[in-house]
Amino acid sequence: MIQVEHLTKEYKRVIRREGFLGSVRTLFSAQYETIPAVNDISFRIDEGELVGYIGPNGAGKSTSIKMLCGILVPTSGRIEVNGLIPHKERMKNTRQIGAVFGQKTQLWWDVPVIESLRLFRDIYKVPEAQYKHNLNLFNDLLDLHEFQNTPVRQLSLGQRLRADMAAALLHNPRLLFLDEPMIGVDVVAKERLRNFIQEINRDQKVTILLTTHDMVDIEKVCSRIMIIDHGHIVYDGSLAQIRNQYGKQRKLVVEFEEAVPDFSEPNAALVKSEGRKKWFAFNRFETSPSTLIANISSRYPILDLAVEEPEIEEIVRTIYQGKPGNARENGT
Amino acid sequence: MKVFLAFARQSFHSIAIYRFDFWLRVSTVLILMYSIRWVWVALYTQRPGAFGASLEQMITYGVLSMAIENLFYSFGVQYYMSQQVRSGAIDVDLLKPLDFHFHMLARNTGQMLFRLFIMILPAILCGYLFFGLRPPATPLAGFQFALALFIGYLVGFHLEFLLGSIALVTLDIHSIDWAFNALLRFFSGQLVPIWLFPGPLGTLASLLPFRALFATPLSIYTGLLNGEAIINAVGLQLFWLAALVLLSRWFWNRIQARIISQGG
Repeated sequence: MIQVEHLTKEYKRVIRREGFLGSVRTLFSAQYETIPAVNDISFRIDEGELVGYIGPNGAGKSTSIKMLCGILVPTSGRIEVNGLIPHKERMKNTRQIGAVFGQKTQLWWDVPVIESLRLFRDIYKVPEAQYKHNLNLFNDLLDLHEFQNTPVRQLSLGQRLRADMAAALLHNPRLLFLDEPMIGVDVVAKERLRNFIQEINRDQKVTILLTTHDMVDIEKVCSRIMIIDHGHIVYDGSLAQIRNQYGKQRKLVVEFEEAVPDFSEPNAALVKSEGRKKWFAFNRFETSPSTLIANISSRYPILDLAVEEPEIEEIVRTIYQGKPGNARENGT
Repeated sequence: MKVFLAFARQSFHSIAIYRFDFWLRVSTVLILMYSIRWVWVALYTQRPGAFGASLEQMITYGVLSMAIENLFYSFGVQYYMSQQVRSGAIDVDLLKPLDFHFHMLARNTGQMLFRLFIMILPAILCGYLFFGLRPPATPLAGFQFALALFIGYLVGFHLEFLLGSIALVTLDIHSIDWAFNALLRFFSGQLVPIWLFPGPLGTLASLLPFRALFATPLSIYTGLLNGEAIINAVGLQLFWLAALVLLSRWFWNRIQARIISQGG
């Protein structure tokens, strides 16, 4: 579906000179600096996949999505989207993809939602039967009828994103790009959009590439994640794999029968202590939880205990901070 | 064609929102029609026969030129382009399976059709009823007027489209647009018919594309142009239209290439 090879995008920016004379000089001879936004990335997405694309701000997510949409030309490298080269065949490519940008709406600001959708129908030449069918589907899944006669500028953010999703899918694209589609949306609306994304992926076999900052989105929705940082893809694989690979550390939470003084075990560090509860961090490849529990229970009587998996958010944070170390040796 | 009508339908939905704008435009046009009529009456009382047309023809020319004002001055495509590029929303336009130039033409024409029915035709009707506007010289002249007016609209659109494109390079739309409107009002013959311009100024006005908007259709309507003169005038309109279409597409393609290589 999508094939990307050694894709690079550099932006040219004018270097600003300081002061008035500097500005005048810039008018006549500008100096440029090149800023790499995406640096030699390669990946492949197959039909029907639902891929989470994550990375800190400025990592190159939006730049890559724009290139896949054909509205940005790569500096070098190759992109193929369902057999087309997006920036060379922009108009043809836009017919086979749908896109939602959380920060920008595709709808017309002043007119009711339903009018915007009608215009989409005319622009994409959607047959009437398909239009009606899709509209019914969106009514079921997104409750579009609740606000279809409201002008877009009066919609709440959650409603606007639902309307944008409907507009992006009206022409039955095989591929959907979602660039932070849930930014700033409340918990309930988020849950709803997540379910919708999963449903269209599962039932209509739409291939989806989703960027987000919310790890809950990733955990609930995606089967695969790609992490980009400073223009490089630093991880590409399944969620389970990232846990195995990067999540060496586990935490043992112990609740004692009565308050006990702080102590630490040879293979486990005390990381937190609160009332009768204590948290011990240990490396699951070096220490087994059962040994650890046996050791602790020989010191003090235990009331309750639990082993905590590392949060995906924590793992991603360590990757962003450039400390992928403690797992790299396990191989990629 | 369907896309053009779809955009026109959208404009009808905006009317409820921009009621103030609508009434302001309508009342301005009525005041302008009233004023231009009395200006010509006053001038003809002072100097009858000095203007190369009868008073009735001149009143018809003047009142009609005000009635069709909203066909051309719409704060249209040039402002839209500048706003989309500045806000980065141009991405969303390029995401649609439409050629940008065609998209803008459809959008603008849709809005024009809307204004035609809601503002211009009623204004023309008021002109007949209250301001001394006469029917076209002949039925044929009426038909030729409509055709020339439509070509004039297309010339006007492309001038604005080019203006919008230039404004993307200079990053300033307001001063350019102000200068453009001033030149347009003068050289299009909207306020003063261009046959009254002296020597070189008259030659300049007849060569510039602006006359395609007002002077050509209005002169046909009032019967001031006949036979071969009509063919020449419409030919010149078509020449300018072709030149502006080519120029617009060439210029825009360069700008679009810059937008999609620089990321807006």
